[in-house]
Amino acid sequence: MTRAATSKLGAYAALAGAGVLAALVLGRPELAALAAPFAVLLAAGLSLAHAPEVTGVLELDAERQVEGEAVTAFLELRAHTTAERLELLLDLPDGLRAEGPNPQLVHLHAGERHEVELPLRCDHWGAYLVGDVLLRAQDRLGLLAFEQTLELRRPLKVYPRGEALEKILRPLDTQTFAGNQSPRTRGEGIEFADLRQFVPGDRIRRINWRATARRGEPWVNETHPERNTDVVIFLDTFAEARSGGTSTLDLAVEAAGSLAAHYIGEKDRVGLVAFGGVLNWLTVSSGVVQLYRVLDSLLDAEIFLSYAWKDIDVLPVRTLPPNALVLALTPLLDERSVGALVDLRARGFDLAVIEISPVPFVSAGSGPLDDLAYRLWLLRRDALRSSYLRLGVPVVEWQRDAPLQAALEEVRTFRRHARVTRG
Amino acid sequence: MLVAAGLVEAGVLRAGGHELLLLTLGASALAMLLAGLLLRWSAALAVGIGLLGVQQAIRLELGPDKLDAWTPLVAGGLLLAAELAWWSVEPRVPAWSPPGVGARRPATVLFACVAATVVAAVVVVAAGARVSGGVGLELAGVVAAIGALAVVVWVARRAVG
Repeated sequence: MTRAATSKLGAYAALAGAGVLAALVLGRPELAALAAPFAVLLAAGLSLAHAPEVTGVLELDAERQVEGEAVTAFLELRAHTTAERLELLLDLPDGLRAEGPNPQLVHLHAGERHEVELPLRCDHWGAYLVGDVLLRAQDRLGLLAFEQTLELRRPLKVYPRGEALEKILRPLDTQTFAGNQSPRTRGEGIEFADLRQFVPGDRIRRINWRATARRGEPWVNETHPERNTDVVIFLDTFAEARSGGTSTLDLAVEAAGSLAAHYIGEKDRVGLVAFGGVLNWLTVSSGVVQLYRVLDSLLDAEIFLSYAWKDIDVLPVRTLPPNALVLALTPLLDERSVGALVDLRARGFDLAVIEISPVPFVSAGSGPLDDLAYRLWLLRRDALRSSYLRLGVPVVEWQRDAPLQAALEEVRTFRRHARVTRG
Repeated sequence: MLVAAGLVEAGVLRAGGHELLLLTLGASALAMLLAGLLLRWSAALAVGIGLLGVQQAIRLELGPDKLDAWTPLVAGGLLLAAELAWWSVEPRVPAWSPPGVGARRPATVLFACVAATVVAAVVVVAAGARVSGGVGLELAGVVAAIGALAVVVWVARRAVG
């Protein structure tokens, strides 16, 4: 525990010294009597002062929580020596907020245990280390100040609160593994596709008896096989637009979490590419474990300023499996990610772009020049969107107050009707 | 501020003359204390308390030679003013505290002031003892004063460490 003299100690010493000297110079014992209390208080206070010895243990009632929910921190302090007027503060990172009294002022006797139960509200997603407890105490007469930091860190993962999606985008092609999707091809499955005439080799159980009776010759049911799909969530972490407590990256992470949860629930394989100043990827896989891997990777997503030019070649081949749907979540603010998405489309990937609109995060400015620049910027964004549409890439603008489901429906509509234009 | 104002008023009322000078000194002391409290400035508080002491010293110097029997009460009041002033400016956070913890501090301050009054009374009584004077006794007083200051400095250095 560090200790330091308070301003009071120096002032009292000066007053005591000045009083004694004045008594000697003027020959008035009353002045020594005026100075004596300050000197005695100093001597007594400093003799009795000792640094408090306090140890502690911190526990959280959950290591994982969803944004907006609360966890409870249990802090147990044990004083090995008496601690007078001990101020304790659980230093919380941005994104967590104490809902109970923090800091607290306590008095601990030697050997006493003190338990603090502090509810914490998880305001923002992220991976946190909770448990820096700052202790500050003074001796009984306030002459010395003692400070100590107890590092009782416990990990806490706060996952983004996503939107429950009902219908999501289906990739154009399926994979070979079993899943919930019905491809256009026909094969063994339970999803009815069509009727055809019986050919030798067909199983008897596939005969459609009603159609056979009506036509007088054997007809069989054709079915779609049940297949899974591969989906790669492409998170643009080159740049973000931020206003107040939220940013385009926050929205992108929330959307990515929702999409990953829904696709994995449908037995699809999901991968993640965080394409930005720091490249981060997760190869496609399925299952609940993969969902947690994706969510944990999303918690690490942050904007790193980088001037290094990166294109899609820096990604390992395994991260982008053939026939995978690449769902890009991007504010379309950085040329490198814009170029990488065009490159992906040129390589034949099934690509859909959900533009996390930075427009609500930007104000137009006050002057006429500012207004002109703002309008030019909006026009350039429209032009960029048009260039993607010409390539056959659906681009939808998603704003922070709109449901993600609406943006996905827009993409689905585009994919249903869009044709690639040439020339 | 009220305690300091009471000390100033008592000093002026009990003076045998030069009330204007004592009043000016007292007002300066109160002004410094007020500035220290408003600006949370410890040095101004020290100067203010020091000026209160100077006012008492001038009152004693301009007054009769006999010992002032009220000195222990003035010493207690001076320490009370100083304790309350530094309590007001010390850095603190708005912390929640369980009942009882907050009451310990006023009790400690009051105890310290009562003890200060007793210590000052002991000094005044010792000063009033009939001991034959001389250079030797004067020298002993100087050595004792220096020794007392040295003890305070030594304890402070050891405590701050």
